[in-house]
Amino acid sequence: MAEKLSWTELRRALAKRAGVSEKTAGAFLNAVQAQLMEALKTDKQVKINGLGTFKVQAVAPRKSVNVTTGEEIIIEGYNKLAFTPEAGVRELIESQEPGVKSQEADNASVIDPIQKLGAQAEEIVDILGDLGQSPKEEPVAEPEPVVEEPEPVIEEPAPAPEPVAEPEPIYFPGATPAAEPEPEIIVQRPKKEKKKSHFWRDTLICVIILLLLLAGGYFFLRQELSDIIRSFIAPAETEEVIVGEPVLMVEEPAVVEPAAEEPAEEPAPAAESAPAAKAKSAETAMIPKGKIPQEQILAEFLAASGETLTGTADYPNLITVEAMHEGSRLTWMSKRFYGKKVYWPYLYDANRDVIDNPNQIETGTPLRVPKLTKAQMDTTSTAFLQLKQEAEAACKK
Amino acid sequence: MLTKEFIGLVSNESGLSKKETEQLLTTMNAIVRENLMDGKAIQLQGLGAFEIKERKERVIVHPRTGERSVVPSKNQLVFRPVATIKDELNKI
Repeated sequence: MAEKLSWTELRRALAKRAGVSEKTAGAFLNAVQAQLMEALKTDKQVKINGLGTFKVQAVAPRKSVNVTTGEEIIIEGYNKLAFTPEAGVRELIESQEPGVKSQEADNASVIDPIQKLGAQAEEIVDILGDLGQSPKEEPVAEPEPVVEEPEPVIEEPAPAPEPVAEPEPIYFPGATPAAEPEPEIIVQRPKKEKKKSHFWRDTLICVIILLLLLAGGYFFLRQELSDIIRSFIAPAETEEVIVGEPVLMVEEPAVVEPAAEEPAEEPAPAAESAPAAKAKSAETAMIPKGKIPQEQILAEFLAASGETLTGTADYPNLITVEAMHEGSRLTWMSKRFYGKKVYWPYLYDANRDVIDNPNQIETGTPLRVPKLTKAQMDTTSTAFLQLKQEAEAACKK
Repeated sequence: MLTKEFIGLVSNESGLSKKETEQLLTTMNAIVRENLMDGKAIQLQGLGAFEIKERKERVIVHPRTGERSVVPSKNQLVFRPVATIKDELNKI
């Protein structure tokens, strides 16, 4: 690269080749130089067919640190001239053997890169701890890293050429180019093998994920379904109950109380619950649909504070009073009674005296289910939004 | 800016016809290419020099498979602008 074609040489060559005087060639070159600068200033980019593109590139300002003082300094942005060779020119240049010149210049420089390669190969060998292969006469390095890869996979298929290919590099480090095709063959096979194993692993993962999803969906739906079914069954039962109302009223305390664990409270609830139940026959009539323990708790609760379940100032009319099911949520109850989960804050609001945290309601807690007015059904009203906020705040307690 | 426009500018500046300018430009490009192929650098006064640089071979690692391979060395055309051009461009 020592030789350089100077300006005058270029002018001379140009004049000779184009068949014009040196003066014309000189004028042309000067014009090229001047106009290129001008064009770059105005257009920032100049394309010259058969050569490439000159481009003015802006380098943005950046921060740096003064090495000696540790101070932060700002390196200001500037423009730089970049040149991108045309694709054809680039290919032409790249097609040139990089080694040719150096061979002409000095033979030692040819050996250097090979030695470097050898060092690199050894490094790789150390890292992978697989194969050792010393440098070859030619700088053909591709097979080296490639050979190391397939090794772990080779043991499984073990076709004929592999055992041959494997030991060769180890015992005959000075392998001739004949060794080259063999590793190449090996490369292709393990790659396919790899793809296969990937495929099976992927399908396995997919199946597992699917199963998990199905299981999750099943458990979720089971909860939901049981709630829905219950809500369907409930009305049917209530009708029956209403028919036999007087009978149930009498029976309920009689059946429930003996089963209760606290005999001390027996007489009092029995006396109180009867009149209270009569007053709100519709409510109490619905209660028996639950399981016996729930009935029990409800009865006890009604007995203890029958008045509070008649409705509050905000919710004078109740649909029913229901004991909290195990694993149930206010949102699910809301969905069951109102058709939407959104209305759960009303359930919380109507039962503030028993609910501390809507997320942690004890199983069996009797809850009022208020009738909602049309105004209350509006989920965009400020009253509802405020209530929702309050309810959500309570969840965080 | 495309070659055609550039030729127009150069022909204005040098007083040559557009045809002549175009011919000279292609000849110049051919000379530049040939000299580069011969391993010579070309100095363009006031602009910079075209040179061929050898990019050394290097080992790359495939990020996914961890496969190692060597990128063979190759020649690259490099344009090295003269120092004055930088000042010139930053006047803008």
